[in-house]
Order: sequence, then C-alpha cells, then structure tokens
Amino acid sequence: MDYDAIVIGGGHAGIEAALALSRMGWRTLMITQSLDAIGRLSCNPAVGGLSKGNLVREVDALGGEMAHLIDKSMIQFRILNRRRGPAVQAPRAQADKFTYHRLAKQTLEGQKGLALFQDTVNDILLEPDGRTICGVTTERGHQISARVVVMTTGTFMEGRIFIGEYMCSSGRLGEPAAVGLGTALREKGFMVGRLKTGTPARVRKSSLDFDAMVEQPGDEIMMPFSFDYDLVDRPAMNCHITWTNEETHRIIRANIHRSPLYGGKIVGKGPRYCPSIEDKVVRFPDRDKHQIFVEPEGVGTEEMYLNGISSSLPEDVQVAYIHSIRGLEKAEIMRPAYAVEYDYLDPTQLYPSLETKRVDGLFIAGQTNGTSGYEEAACQGLMAGINAAQKLKGEPMLVLSRTEAYTGVLIDDLVTKGTKEPYRMFTSRAEYRLNLRHDTADQRLTPKGYAVGLQRAEAMDKLRVKMERIGAVKELLASRRIEGKTCAELIRQPEITIDDLLPQVPELLAFAETERYQAELDVKYEGYIRRQDRQVDRFVRMEQIPISVDFNYDAVDGISTEAREKLKLVRPLSVGQAGRISGVRNSDLAILMVVMKRGGMRSKGCAACDGSDGSDESGEYDGQE
Amino acid sequence: MNITSYDHKDLIYALATPWGSSALAIIRISGEGCITLLATAFSRPEALLSARTNRIVHGVLSDPASGKAVDEVVLAVYRAGHGYTGEESVEISCHGSIPGIEALLELLKNLGMRPAEPGEFTFRAFMHGRMDLTQAEAVQEIVSSRSRTAQSLALHRLGGALFTELQRIKSLVLDVLSVVEVQLDYAEDEIGGDVTFPLETVVSAKSQMDALLATYEVGRLYGQGARIVLAGSTNAGKSTLFNLLLKEERSIVSEVHGTTRDFIEAQTVIGGIPIRIYDTAGLRDSMDSIEAEGMRRTEQLLEQSDLILLLLDGTEPHDNADMLGSRIGKLVHDPRCIIVWNKTDLSVGKAPHGSFPLSAKRGKGFEELQAEILARLRKGSARPMDDQVVIENSRQRDALVRASEALAACMRLAQAAVPLDIVAIELNEALEAMGSLTGEVTSADVLEHIFSGFCVGK
Repeated sequence: MDYDAIVIGGGHAGIEAALALSRMGWRTLMITQSLDAIGRLSCNPAVGGLSKGNLVREVDALGGEMAHLIDKSMIQFRILNRRRGPAVQAPRAQADKFTYHRLAKQTLEGQKGLALFQDTVNDILLEPDGRTICGVTTERGHQISARVVVMTTGTFMEGRIFIGEYMCSSGRLGEPAAVGLGTALREKGFMVGRLKTGTPARVRKSSLDFDAMVEQPGDEIMMPFSFDYDLVDRPAMNCHITWTNEETHRIIRANIHRSPLYGGKIVGKGPRYCPSIEDKVVRFPDRDKHQIFVEPEGVGTEEMYLNGISSSLPEDVQVAYIHSIRGLEKAEIMRPAYAVEYDYLDPTQLYPSLETKRVDGLFIAGQTNGTSGYEEAACQGLMAGINAAQKLKGEPMLVLSRTEAYTGVLIDDLVTKGTKEPYRMFTSRAEYRLNLRHDTADQRLTPKGYAVGLQRAEAMDKLRVKMERIGAVKELLASRRIEGKTCAELIRQPEITIDDLLPQVPELLAFAETERYQAELDVKYEGYIRRQDRQVDRFVRMEQIPISVDFNYDAVDGISTEAREKLKLVRPLSVGQAGRISGVRNSDLAILMVVMKRGGMRSKGCAACDGSDGSDESGEYDGQE
Repeated sequence: MNITSYDHKDLIYALATPWGSSALAIIRISGEGCITLLATAFSRPEALLSARTNRIVHGVLSDPASGKAVDEVVLAVYRAGHGYTGEESVEISCHGSIPGIEALLELLKNLGMRPAEPGEFTFRAFMHGRMDLTQAEAVQEIVSSRSRTAQSLALHRLGGALFTELQRIKSLVLDVLSVVEVQLDYAEDEIGGDVTFPLETVVSAKSQMDALLATYEVGRLYGQGARIVLAGSTNAGKSTLFNLLLKEERSIVSEVHGTTRDFIEAQTVIGGIPIRIYDTAGLRDSMDSIEAEGMRRTEQLLEQSDLILLLLDGTEPHDNADMLGSRIGKLVHDPRCIIVWNKTDLSVGKAPHGSFPLSAKRGKGFEELQAEILARLRKGSARPMDDQVVIENSRQRDALVRASEALAACMRLAQAAVPLDIVAIELNEALEAMGSLTGEVTSADVLEHIFSGFCVGK
C-alpha cells in the first residue's frame, strides 16, 4: 500500500478528513486538482450563521480545524438572532478569503503524516471481490493504493457552468471540472444525480457608491468559534446593504427567457432557500425590492460579493440590472454571476458512518452527498475522516445522534431520507435544539473526539474547568437570596437576566460572561430542557433497538411494498432510524420488531420463554380482602 | 414522533371488556412500574405493593389530587413474567357503568399512563415471549391487515369530516409555526427584520379547537345518554314528576336488582337524548330513617348524575327551610341542580328566585322545565346536525386537549415576550398532538411552508 488513506479533494470536507486521518496517526495523501484552491471560499466570503455556526463549533469540539481557520481570518463577527432565543442564536463571521485559503494550506502542509499531491482522480480501484476499495487512478495515469478513500469532490464531478447562453465544463469559473469520475461511479452501480447551485457577481470596490447604501457593522467584540482560546483580536470591516427596485425586476422579467434555468438547459434542482434573483422575482411578484449585502472578499482586494443576487442570466443582462441598483450604478463587474450543475451521489447509499454500502472502505463527504455550504461540508469531512480512521484501526464507527449534534441531524437526514435539492442545515431540522446550543458543543462532543484519539487532552482539561465554573455559578444562584427569593427563582422570570443581579451578587463578576450566560440559560429554561430530555429518552430507546445490516426484508410478510423497498434501500441500523424513512409506518415497525424478536428466540431456543408460564395456571388467590 | 407509540416502556391502559353498561368491567394496565404508580391512587398501597403475582387485592381507587373516591375495585396483580403481556400488569375489575369507566380511565391518564394502541397488548405479550410462533403469526396478521386496509392508521380512525376539520386547524398552526421558524432559520437581516407574531391566528386556532372539543360532550350525550336524579322530600311530588317525565315517550321502569329498593330507575328519551331517570328512595324517605348503606348509594348516584331535579313542596315552607339546612340542602348550590317549586296549583306563596314553578299534577310549567332540562344537558350546544363534526372518543379528546393546552401556553409565552424558540416548543407540541390524530407532521412540512410563504435567503 502506498498510503493508509487517500482523500480526494482539498475543499472544506477534504481538509477536515485529511487532518483527522493524519492526526489519528494514519499515512494520508490528499489529491487535489489545484493546490492553489485548497480551502477556497467559492461563494459567500463568510462562515457560520444560524445552525451553521453550531456546526463549526461542533467540528471544533471534536478536534477539527474549521473554527481555527475562520478565527484567524475573520474581518467581521456577529452573533445572529440574539433576541430570538437562546437555542437559535449562532455566530457568523465574514472571512478574508485569501487568508483563509493560505491558513488552510499552511495547516495541511504543517501536518505530520499528510502528503499533498496535485492531480485529478478519474476512477477508484477495487479489490478483485469488487466490493472493497484499494486505491485510485488519476488523469495523469498514476495508480495510488490505499486501504480507505474519502471522496470530497464538491461541485467538480462533471461540473458544468452556465451564464445565459454560455456553458462550459467547469467546477468553478475558470477551473476545469473533474471529468470521468462520475461516469466511473455510475458504471460501478452508484446512483448519481444532478444538482445546481449558483453564485452572484463580484464587483470592484472603487466603482461603488457606499454613501448610497446602508452601513452594516459587526459586533463590537469578536468571539472565537473555537473552544481552545477565549479571545479573537482582529481588525473589522463593514458590510453594506442596498436593495433591488422595480426597474431591476423589470429588466429581469424582460430577459427571463434567456436564463438557462427557465430555458430547461439546467436539469439539476437548485436550493429553494437560496434562490437566484430571477427565482425571487418570479416567485414573489408582489415584492417591490430584495435586499443585497455588499460584502468584502478580503483585505487587499477590490472584489466585493453581491450577496442576494446570484443569477445565471447572460452577462449583458447582469450588467443592466446591477446598474439599476442604488449605489451600484457604476459598478465594474469583475466576475459574473453563474450557475453550476454537478454530479452528486444519492446519500441513502451511505451508512451513518458515511461509508458507502456498495464499496467497503469508500467514504463520501461534503457537497458530493447533496449538501450545500462550507460548514455542512466540513462536519461531514470530519466524520468521514474519523470513521475512515476507525475503520483502519478496526474500531467501531462514531455516529452522532440527532439528540447530540446538528452534525448528527444532518447526516441522519441525508442517509435516511436522501435529498432532492442541495441540503442546507436549518435549526428547524433539529427536534431537540435546546440541547444543541452552540456554546455547549464542547460539552456534547469533546469527550467523543478525545475518545477516538483526535481531540487533545488539553481540550478535555479546559472543558472540565469550564463545567466546574458553570456549576459554581449555578450553586451561587441557587443559594443566594434577594428579598426572600433565590437568584435562580428570580432569573426564571422572563424579564430578569443574570446581569441584573450583578449589583446584589458581585461574586458573579469573578466568572466570565460566557460562563454566566450559560448558567443563566440552563437555569432559566430548566423546565423546557427537562421536558426535552424526556422526549430525548423516548427517542433514544428506539435508536437502541438494532437492526442488522443484512436483515432480509423480503422474508417479512405484512409490511407494505413501499416500506419494503425503502427499507431495502436505506438499510437502517435501528428501529428508530427505520421509523424516520418516509413511507415506513408504525405498523411496519411493529411487524419488524416482531420478526426480529422471533429471530432472536429461534437462536436462543424457546426454553427460556416457556419456563415462566408454570405458575399462571395454578392461580393462587388470597381471597377478596 | 409517530414511532414512539410502539415504545414498549410506556405504561398503557385499555378497557378489556366491551364499551357499554354492564355489572362489571375490566381495565387492563401494563408496563414496568405500573403497580407502584397505581398504588399512589389506591386506598391500600401497602397491600398492593406487597402483593405477590396472581393475587387479588380489594380497595378503592381515588384521585390522588382531590382524594375523591372514583370506584371500589378488585385488582388482579401480575408481576413481570406473568399475566397476558408477561410484563408487570394489573387487571382492574370495576363497576360497569359508562361514567364510572370513564372516570377510571381519566384517573389512569392523570397518573401518567397512556391509552394503548390497537393490538398493543398482544404486541407486548409477544415481545415478552408470552406467545409461541403460531400466535406470533396471528399478531403479525392483525397488524398487517391494518396496514393493508388503511393508508394510514391515523387516517383510518377518523371520519372524513373530522379529518378535514383537523387539517384546517393544523394548517393554521403550521402557518404560525412557519412565521416563528422562518425567524429561527434565518437571521434578522436575511428576512428584513422581525415578522409580527400572528397571535390572532393562534387565538383562532385555539377557539376552533375548543369548539371541536366542546362537541365531545354533545357526542357523548347523544351517544351514551345522560343521567337525571330526582331528589326532594317525601311529599314534594317526585313520583308524579317521575311519571310525567316518562309519560311523554316510550319508557321502561325497572327495579334495581340485588339491592334493597334504594331507587327506581327508568329509561326514556327527551329531545333525542337517551336519559336514565332515578327516583331516589334514599332521599324520598325521611332523612333520619336512612341506613348508612342506602345513603352511600344515593350519594354515589348523585355524584354520577348529569342533572339533579330538586323538588321543593310549594305548600310546605317549613319543610323547605329545614331541608336547606340538611345535607340535601347542599344540592341547591350544585351547578347541576334545577330547583323545582312544585304544587303551584295549591301554593299561595311565590316561587323562590331561580326556581321553576311547576304543577306536576296538572302539567302546568312542565314544558318550560323540559326545555330547561334539555338546555342544561346540551350546555348551550345545539343538537348536532348529521354533518356536524363531533369528537366521539376519549383518545381524540385527549389529543385535542393536549393541543389546546399547548396553544394556550404558546399565547401566554408570546405575550410575555419569551424568546421565539421557546414559543416554538409549544407550537410543535400542539402540532404533534394533532399529528397523532391526522398523521405525522414532519420538519420537512414546516420548511415547505416557509419556502412557499417567505422570500428568504441572502
């Protein structure tokens, strides 16, 4: 074997997979089409956001890299949804794209046991059994062997770019697609589909009239995504807001027939949650304006990102409608907006470990699985990397539950339900989000990252100290009384915050704001958290009834045809997961449980269950008292 | 959400005998810990807790909160490994009157148990190895026949009209939830600031839900009938009124078997409502001569009645004054009580305020009394039209009560300016409760609603 592991792709999923594998001690090779494109922020120059910020912190808690990269490259930081509730606020940061990429490459290069190689993988190599991975072949004719492969091809697999009538084979504008791999995988029996996404135009800073826009500054204090340190001190930049208008919409409507989306050239389905500007105009004809965020792509560049008007309209139309927008009248377009269509693998072909069911040792992560977003990619890359390493070690897979991480929700959704449009994380996808706050990611996951040998011992120490200090705050709140009421009772009232108590309980000042805040939330929402914990208990019980991977669904009478087909496709690992497959009903589950139980009885023999019947017939009664 | 219904750690209960009046009925409860839980409502907790398997224990089940006795029962105790399900279970033998059974089921629910799904006892019996293979095939047959005949279990249980009504309310709640969730899924700047919380939609959904809930009483009334007890002193004219009430329609008068002649029971129909009328001997005779046993039965009867007609003798003001001071006098303040001022044909005095003047002998005032009886029983709701949606069973009612309570909490929280993510918990609770009747609501439904209703995304 040339290597223990190969990671295909150097994007946000590939970075995490490669680092996890090499940090866990395996000789790893990352193959990328361009070393200059490692960790590139292809679309939005920002990391985090609602539920996505949680993903970044989960990656960090497990021992991943994304939080470090954004902490050292951010040029604006905000906590979103502060007023809307503790469970749904999340950090978001604007990134300096160049710094982000440079740090990512630097981190990979500095990692012991990790090799980087520029080439394009065009096929995977299988053992003679046809079911086990043993390496990859590349465009330049290399055959490289490895025991596990993690595939993170992003939008590059058979990628195709559209700008109006223009079309070309590309993964990103100006970068060639990875041709051949998608076809090779189709030939090996994988279900491959097409998805579409898009990105807006980049315009030149000096050509914009910022006085005509609304300034959008970040929070005064920058807070780290990572749990490893408590401070981020970086210079901040502003974003700006402007709006489309009736004239913009008129131009778009007049040219809508020139969009490849409406002309039927693009077959892949795009994300409804992040629609192109032409989609917004068509679907919401009553809206007289749409918001645009003008975001800097970084320090030392003139390129500005026009967030909110991604498009695949022809370039002359783009110029016309951009110039109709206030503040952008003289905008010089440096890169046009474009749509990209690419191959993705139906993620129901994966186990929750992200290993494919079809090929042993092949793991798939990131946009290849039908997701969208850097954060979604990173958390999958990390889990695929960890599990590939576990596989090499011969140890059990690390599968996070829906009850303990957004990462768990994301992967469970993908492998159980599949996806028909680019899948983005949303807080509303998580049932138990009170337990999934971004500030508790370390409590939830750091011990797991440590147990598999990825997270460092210092992180565990830091977590222990944090928990002790939060415990001390809670103790203080429970014991200290103000006018007859304990502080805990007081802050359970919606209008009272822990900071209101500082004058009366100055000892609280000895604790960091984050420690006070977390203790406050735990106490304030204790009732709801406990209620959620009970729901979690019920949920977990169903998760703990295992179904074997080779369970013969055809031998089960009585389940519906639809359920049978879905069960055979998804091959759920627990009764709980089976219940989340669309088309599988309660009655199907009941039958499954009966049949599984019967199988168990056969193997044990029936003696045990017959024995207890004896006393029933004897019917002792002590009479009516 | 749906799958938890086959969670075999829950404590479940179900009526094992047919749903109707009979001398005795059996309610079965099952699940680890059910004996300990039941003991909290039992008059002899130690006897129950220490009972070995296959023993029976006699006592009274009472509401632990109020201490009020619900029924005198015999409990057959089965420890784990015994009994039908093979897990810890109790068979409760109780009196077989429908109001009595309902009260007991209510008690079990309040203790924290849930109604069993169809076939669930058998399912558990199999899971605990209480059945052999052929029996197991039969279980599979039962469950699978359901899945073959019904697209959805939940749908199957519902009449079309009720289903439509529920879907309508559910879509209102979904509207509200999507307004909340869109603000949780997207940042302030992504959707152009806050969206106003649609409190009126919650209020409207809740009032529609409550209207639906109110039909439970109507449905029960027309389906299962009502009980009216006549009370009053010997000469107040109860027998005359009793006969008058029965004269109107086909009636059956019978004596109650197996007891001393405590009361006379008759069945009739008033305004389409099946009614049982009881003429209480205990109260008919003079108070002093009543034996303790007779008194107890009468009180029990009064307890279970939907309506009490308290007859006062219009010609005997002293008698009336005494009565008001007696135990029966308490009835005057019972909201179920209609005070009837009888013998207006002989009396010279004026009927007291709030009473119904009647001459049972001449039938004068009877029509008004009958109208009042009907009005009181219907509690303001009209007789259901054939196409009116009515909640018929307690499982449906329980789910709707849960949903209604969650909406009430949601309104309270929204007005108290509690953060939206907490408000969302109550809305989800309401949806889940309704989902248990109409089929599941998934988070994908909510996202669907958001994408179709809001222009979102940067």
